Amino acid sequence: MFNQLLINSIIAGSTYTLIALSFSLIYSTTKFFHFAHGAVYTFCPYFAYLFTIILGMPLFISIPLAIVLSAIVGILTELVIYKPLRQKGTTPLILLLASLGIYIVLQNIISMTFGDDTKTLRSGIVKEGLEFLGARITPIQIAIIIVSMLLLIGCRALMRYTKMGTAMRAVASDPDLAVISGINSDRVILFTFAIGSALAGVAAILVSFDIDMTPTMGMNALMMGVVAVIIGGVGSIPGAALGGFLLAFAQNFGVWKISSQWQDAIAFIILLLFLLYRPYGFFGKKIRKVEV
Amino acid sequence: MDYLLHILIMVAIYSIVSMSLNVLAGYTGLLSVSHAAFYGIGAYNTALLALNAGLPFWINIPAGIILSGAIAFLIAWPSLRTYDDYFVITTFAFQIIVFSILNNWVSFTGGPLGLPGIPQPEIFGIKISSHVSFLIFVITFAALTYFLLDRLMGSPFGRILKAIREDEIFTTSLGKDVMKFKLTAFIIGASIASISGSLYAYYISFIDPTSFTIMESIFILSIVIIGGAGNLKGSIVGSALLIFIPEVLRFVGMPNSIAANMRQIFYGLLLVLFMMFRPQGILGEFAFGKEGAVKTEGNKDA
Repeated sequence: MFNQLLINSIIAGSTYTLIALSFSLIYSTTKFFHFAHGAVYTFCPYFAYLFTIILGMPLFISIPLAIVLSAIVGILTELVIYKPLRQKGTTPLILLLASLGIYIVLQNIISMTFGDDTKTLRSGIVKEGLEFLGARITPIQIAIIIVSMLLLIGCRALMRYTKMGTAMRAVASDPDLAVISGINSDRVILFTFAIGSALAGVAAILVSFDIDMTPTMGMNALMMGVVAVIIGGVGSIPGAALGGFLLAFAQNFGVWKISSQWQDAIAFIILLLFLLYRPYGFFGKKIRKVEV
Repeated sequence: MDYLLHILIMVAIYSIVSMSLNVLAGYTGLLSVSHAAFYGIGAYNTALLALNAGLPFWINIPAGIILSGAIAFLIAWPSLRTYDDYFVITTFAFQIIVFSILNNWVSFTGGPLGLPGIPQPEIFGIKISSHVSFLIFVITFAALTYFLLDRLMGSPFGRILKAIREDEIFTTSLGKDVMKFKLTAFIIGASIASISGSLYAYYISFIDPTSFTIMESIFILSIVIIGGAGNLKGSIVGSALLIFIPEVLRFVGMPNSIAANMRQIFYGLLLVLFMMFRPQGILGEFAFGKEGAVKTEGNKDA
């Protein structure tokens, strides 16, 4: 039992980390709450479903295609809505409200096109998981853990060692100063949206192979990512991972004692506790406005 | 005819809940996405009292106001310590927790099956059952809410709320206890939201958790923002607009399955367009954080 819970926590933690990472990249660069990220997340497995199950393409074409398309959806939200709004000099709260609107529109487009019923990317029979220390783990779950870790390291390297990563950190820490030193902040933000949306897409596809998909899956996934980001500290990549795993452990080991429907409630009670006692998370900088 | 009356009743119920959110979001600048939770608390309180104890509405509605206000007091404590998007997230968290309780505590709330058969309210032994009488009943409450809140928001109290919205640090420097005023606004908003919840429970006579989701909260917030933040008439106009127009879709012959989605797409799109071209809404005087020097500065630091 303990080993199974441990493995479940690691699997859930890996997906939370990936979502947290994708959200954190966009949030720390643009400084507003991109709710529509939840819908971008949902789009990816539905694209994959369209190509694989409906059009019958092989997986190695349909998955990259779906990831690229969801990155394009993310880019479009930035180009069509956020960028014009930013150029008018609006505040993050107006951007937040607009992103809520976009989320609603996109989610309903998905549910109108594909229907509200539960779908899955799995085809054929469900294989029995591998036996591992008295617990079961399926190949796709192993893939979730490996892919998440690779992308986590990849992102860290991107932010540390590439020119674009440096520019992203520059825009995140001070947009005005970044522009003065010759960084094209619009292009950096666009790039951030592309990377963040693609990462969210990868996470969503992995989840849809492991469990299933519904048009509303994005909001919940996004909120788990947000909780992980706040626990770990905004803008920190190791923080996103720590937050993701902490949240997953709390949820999965909570199930030991309480029934599993309360997982959402557990996550948000943890969030409230963090906002009360440590609003800047583990690795985040202190946020002045919370202290005022 | 009953259909038209039904829409008018819904407009009146939503006017009450959106006016109550306007106190928070429009006047005080606190963007809360937890109003469906307070609306739900009112509805469940009324339903449970009416079903289990057989209490009349003139006890149930005040009981809901007190319960909702007390819960608001508890939740305001963590959430009012945060600002802007963090405040949105805290209220979001509260909304999800309330929904989980309504949905999962089956022995108490009936869980996903809901609570059917809520008796109709009675005044002096006369049952309010027809659409016309219900409309009068609901509009009485809506009018009371409007006049009460109108007086309150025009009073020095309301002006301090607006001052907090515009510049919090400046208001503090005038010697006002900003926290206390925010707390009061939060409690007033939550209490009044519970009235509309009670009315909804009486009118529909069946409630289940799906009426009180986060999407419902966002819908109520959209009414306030599109109608105009900081203007009570705006909330009434917003409710009418966002409830009436999607009904037109039915007459175009759109199938019911798509109509629900189209209704949401409609207000989602409207929200985006208003944010792009008229962030203060139809009748509003305030766009979020536009003037607030504190807020813009605060966000740079985040």
